[in-house]
Amino acid sequence: MEGVSYQRFPKVKIRELKDDYLKFELRETDASMANALRRVMLAEVPTIAIDLVEIEGNSSVLNDEFLAHRLGLIPLTSDRAMVMRFSRDCDACDGDGQCEFCSVEFHLHVRCDSDQTLDVTSHDLVSSDPSVVPVDVQRADSVGYDTSEQRGIIIVKLRRGQELRLRAIARKGIGKDHAKWSPAATVTFMYEPEIHINEDMMETLSLEEKREWIESSPTKVFGLDPNTQQVIVIDAEAYTYDDEVIKKADSMGKSGLVEIYAKEDSFIFTVESTGAIKASQLFINAIEVLKQKLDAVRLSEDTEEADDQFGELGAHMRGG
Amino acid sequence: MNAPDRYERFVVPEGTKKVSYERDTKIINAASFTIEREDHTVGNILRMQLHKDPNVLFAGYKLPHPLQYKILVRVHTTSQSSPMQAYNQAINDLDKELNHLKRVFEGEMTKHPREY
Repeated sequence: MEGVSYQRFPKVKIRELKDDYLKFELRETDASMANALRRVMLAEVPTIAIDLVEIEGNSSVLNDEFLAHRLGLIPLTSDRAMVMRFSRDCDACDGDGQCEFCSVEFHLHVRCDSDQTLDVTSHDLVSSDPSVVPVDVQRADSVGYDTSEQRGIIIVKLRRGQELRLRAIARKGIGKDHAKWSPAATVTFMYEPEIHINEDMMETLSLEEKREWIESSPTKVFGLDPNTQQVIVIDAEAYTYDDEVIKKADSMGKSGLVEIYAKEDSFIFTVESTGAIKASQLFINAIEVLKQKLDAVRLSEDTEEADDQFGELGAHMRGG
Repeated sequence: MNAPDRYERFVVPEGTKKVSYERDTKIINAASFTIEREDHTVGNILRMQLHKDPNVLFAGYKLPHPLQYKILVRVHTTSQSSPMQAYNQAINDLDKELNHLKRVFEGEMTKHPREY
């Protein structure tokens, strides 16, 4: 039986590729694989986020734990996360943040000395590692932006005399532990719809009826060809599997006017990243993480040996 | 105050096996695998991959309780195979599928112009 394989060879077609957005088609695999990849992207691809905050001085209007929570939610550039260690697995330190393998230290010291309110933003965080800094969407695509407009993510606002001083430690983590470590803003996939219009039956409809039927779809899936006045599919993927057009056809006494199937091996994915990791890298990391997970669930050798012995013993007993 | 630690959801406790195997006592070529600290992500792809194997008569998984962080995968095969063989085969095939997927995705990326 060795050498037999039931492996699939999925196909991919990228439609749109941006730093924080990815849209692609995934074909020739099944929903379990699509869903596993989606789940891994949301909850198991590691990123870096602030996890420990030591407040040295806080006279702002927000209390210490509120600030610590807000700091945790700031996305940090996490290209290093895949090769970093989890601080609980790190043997070079005891997770106190002095270790380059598992943590990054941040400092923040802001004091307001003017009559105008002062915004404390993610730009005020000073990182010990230049590759791990707060995500800055405006800086990333700053073409055409006025640089003075760049503000970062607001943490708190200070008035005259107020001061904030703290030390924060960022660690590697996964979304399953806390959503602040999730690199994905949204990940969705849908089945690709296959729409067949019964042209003969459609021609029995008057122009008015056609318009009425087209309008019954909540999303713009169908339209009228301006020249031939035929009903055509404008955007199959706008269909939300709501069945409205089918119900409408039934109520008009035209059952079977249109047939819509979901192609069971064809998916359209959209991935939106928080900016911690590029969307394309997020998908690649998800494949890598899923591979690691599968590798971890392989049977250990002692389990297999134990069964072999049991098997032989069983064979002996059956044979004797 | 008495909340369990969050990492308990994905860190296998010391002294516990990640995967344990138990043969069915009554049916030949049937067994269940208990996988610690895994969920639908792994359970469902394993199950679906096992279904592709014609020697697998039954494959199913369950998450017994949302607060018990483990899954049970039950496999029943013909005499031509064994649950362990089918299980290993499924993991190997999934691994190869993911390698392929990574390769084609990276290939697609290089030929796709970056948009801004």
